[in-house]
Amino acid sequence: MVRDIPNSPDMLPITSTRYVGKAVKRIEDPALVSGTVEFIDNYSVPGMAHCAMMRSPHPHARVLSVDTGAAEKMPGVYAVLTGEDVKKWCNPMATSPEGWGAYCLAVDKVRFVGEPVVAVAATSRYVAEDALELIDVEYELLPVLVDPHKALEADSPTLFEENKTNVIQDRSYTWGEIDQVFSEADHVFTEKFRWNRCGANPMETFGCVCDWDTVNDYVTCRGSYQTPGFMALGRAGSFNLPSNKIKVISHPHGGSFGGKGGPRGTEIAALLSRKAGGRPVKYIEDRVEYLLAGAGQSWDRYYKASIAVKADGSVSGFKVDLLDDQGAGSEGWGTISVAKPLAAFTGCYRIEAAQYNMKLVVSNRAPTFAYRGYGPPPHNLVLESLMDIAARELGVDAAEFRRRNYIQPEQFPYTIPSGNEYDSGDYEAVLDKVLGMADYQALRAEQEKLRAEGKLVGIGVASTVEPGVFDWNAYSTVGVAGVGVPEGVKVAIDIMGQITVTVGFSLEGQGQYTLAAQLVADYFCVEMESVRVAYAATDVAPPHFGPGGSRLGVAMSGAILGACQKIEDKFAQVVARLMQTEPGNVELMDGHMRVKGVPGAEMHIAQVAGTMLNRSDLLPPGMEPCPEATYVWTAPNRNQPDDQGRCRSYLTAANACHVALVEIDPGTGVTDILKYFIVDDCGTRLNPATVEGQIQGGVAQGVGAAFFEEYVYTEDCQPLVSLFSDYLLPTIHEVPIAAKGDVVTPSPVAPLGAKGCGEGAIHTTPATLMCAVNDALFPLGVQIRETPMSPNRVWTLIQQAQ
Amino acid sequence: MTTGQKISVTVNGVNYEREVEPRLSLGDFLRHDLQLGGTHLGCEHGVCGACSILIDGKSVRACLMLAIQADGLEITTIEGLRDPQGGHLHPIQQAFVEEHGLQCGFCTPGFIISTVELLAGNPSPSDEQIKDALGGNLCRCTGYETILRSVRLASARVQAGKAAAHNSA
Repeated sequence: MVRDIPNSPDMLPITSTRYVGKAVKRIEDPALVSGTVEFIDNYSVPGMAHCAMMRSPHPHARVLSVDTGAAEKMPGVYAVLTGEDVKKWCNPMATSPEGWGAYCLAVDKVRFVGEPVVAVAATSRYVAEDALELIDVEYELLPVLVDPHKALEADSPTLFEENKTNVIQDRSYTWGEIDQVFSEADHVFTEKFRWNRCGANPMETFGCVCDWDTVNDYVTCRGSYQTPGFMALGRAGSFNLPSNKIKVISHPHGGSFGGKGGPRGTEIAALLSRKAGGRPVKYIEDRVEYLLAGAGQSWDRYYKASIAVKADGSVSGFKVDLLDDQGAGSEGWGTISVAKPLAAFTGCYRIEAAQYNMKLVVSNRAPTFAYRGYGPPPHNLVLESLMDIAARELGVDAAEFRRRNYIQPEQFPYTIPSGNEYDSGDYEAVLDKVLGMADYQALRAEQEKLRAEGKLVGIGVASTVEPGVFDWNAYSTVGVAGVGVPEGVKVAIDIMGQITVTVGFSLEGQGQYTLAAQLVADYFCVEMESVRVAYAATDVAPPHFGPGGSRLGVAMSGAILGACQKIEDKFAQVVARLMQTEPGNVELMDGHMRVKGVPGAEMHIAQVAGTMLNRSDLLPPGMEPCPEATYVWTAPNRNQPDDQGRCRSYLTAANACHVALVEIDPGTGVTDILKYFIVDDCGTRLNPATVEGQIQGGVAQGVGAAFFEEYVYTEDCQPLVSLFSDYLLPTIHEVPIAAKGDVVTPSPVAPLGAKGCGEGAIHTTPATLMCAVNDALFPLGVQIRETPMSPNRVWTLIQQAQ
Repeated sequence: MTTGQKISVTVNGVNYEREVEPRLSLGDFLRHDLQLGGTHLGCEHGVCGACSILIDGKSVRACLMLAIQADGLEITTIEGLRDPQGGHLHPIQQAFVEEHGLQCGFCTPGFIISTVELLAGNPSPSDEQIKDALGGNLCRCTGYETILRSVRLASARVQAGKAAAHNSA
């Protein structure tokens, strides 16, 4: 039965909430600050072997021979795995459109520098790396596909030869009368943009410990898995094993942001275990491996985009041509991040028609993966930059231009041209609040004054919509085999009134265990300390997906509330029997089941649970004595995409507006962020402290993408980034501490009115900063359209202007 | 294969005598030989700071030293900060909990160790001094705001003599 889940905290069965909506401390933290949490590399078992991998030094080559003889004979080596083993025992990973995936180790050819070619399991990582030195691989070099534009040409070197093309997908979505809208427009503004690849880089790299029970053909994989159920299903497919013979155990992990990876490392470790007779094998990716070939590269994009604007300043059309360099195959769910912008294609604006022409191609760079935001950060940068261009040409202030085009509060639920439905919002209230916080008029006056002094000072204003709580229908149009995205939990009350919530995902940083405890504690009016959150591996957990797509806080809340309601229903039956009334006359309030209208006729939930477990004689006849319930939540009212990909995909639409003040040093091209303001609206804030943490963390990643982070390749596809001294993560010196405010427009359709809020800041920050930098550069007559806006790029532009 | 070499190190007040390969990193030695897994390895080339430990009171990257170089030295790791008897968190650890100074928590031991070193030498640092002290530690989750606040709170506690940490609700 699908339940009506409360869409407001006021509807919880407690007189006034004690935890929900409060900035409570996280239950995760005492162990994390003590250094006692079992991250995967802290886990060991006796006899465990350690894996090291030999990786390709070439971007494109045929593997002619692999000589592992000396390595196999080396003392301490348990097993050596090659492409021949993999071909025999394994299928290509099913994380891409069919035909564009890869085996976990190179089979016959390598397609990028860093692709694993041979793997060794030995007594220690040190010994395993020694053994790699004894392996000889002979390659025949192949022509390299460097420029993704060339991938479209028939005579380009073919990476996946059986496909006879380098184009993974070439499709066009048209929504509304796009040609008419553009022909009737008073102004059309067109610009090109380049987003260079950047990516997740969680502080912990990927790691796993796998063992292959060779007697029962049963594989257990422990590791830093963001989406364990998904991982288990994929490995069953790779290994030709029944889905219930793969068990994935997710350990707490040091961040993920979509870019943790896992399939390759897991398969290699598991197959090494198989080859080593079932001995557990640990693989801990190191940072060099992560940067070269892990799941840390995303969004390598070339855009050409246009907006159509009427004389009154209303934007009527938006066209985007995207060439996306997926790298050497799309094993990293890379196609999905091209599709996600469909969920908020036209942002905050009443744009009536839109078009999206996307070409996804391969190249001999590393495959691209998911990264927090999953595609919209570059897309929003394009849209917001065009909004600025139009505003400037029409002589309208950037903030005012956006205001004129906002979807209005009374228009919700609002269906955008690309088909998604926004649940609620008040974009003008968000804008007004952030402009007030920034004292926008004074900021503009200050800018004028500083400009008069010859300083390069700019202000950026950007508004975005953050789609939250994804459903797979959004992605099914780009050819990735779908899985369901339900989220299930089990809630159990024991005889002492202590409550355990069982979930299918592990700690990753967003504070979801704390949120689970907050919700359950308020639902049953117990102390948070009485609630324990337990992790269950894939073989015993309820159906689950885990974090991703700004969904888990909302989805888990729905699951917990559903499970609590089911327990309440059971308890009502028990209490009705004891109090000689009908279950409909019994309700839960403040931790007691009470008979409506009969003061004093009540039982504490612990008593009810105890009665269920101890006194079957008192229960309604035939009742199952189980004070527990499992509930699996999924977003209501989803539908199938039509032929243009239109569907209700993401349940919630959060909104934010950022304002930044920057100054560029013309002598060095270095941009200094002087001030940063954010107002966001993610509906009900279930734990305001964790929401703010998500926002500030997203700002940091946005600053990185805007100014510092880039995977640089040479002109023959050799990576130049392999260390944190090459790939520049922002430090405490570079990240502005944003002044933050909120507007609360609860979602009418989501549990407790909360909207997904994990990605909004990275959606908005790069766009805001590019708008600010271009505002600063405007007096010089140059503009930047490429990320990261590194000092050398900005300095070069300034030189061109002079 | 290389031969072992005897070392004697004191970690969190406990003396350990072990035979180690000369090439074994101090980080791996602490984590795997001594089972002190709180010293996390984020990059193994000295940039991220997650593996910071204190040697004779100074912060050091465990990934950039060999275990044999620690022979005869006194080391403090994150595990050494919590009061082993009462279980109370160190005031800096407590401040990180109260100010939400962490998300995934992987970099946190390094930040806390750097903060211990900072406050030992400068109990009331300015924001700029805090940033200078923590500029060699990378965090990918928090955006540093709550880390800065945690250090300010820890400093204030030290100043007010409220060093005793209570896990108040």
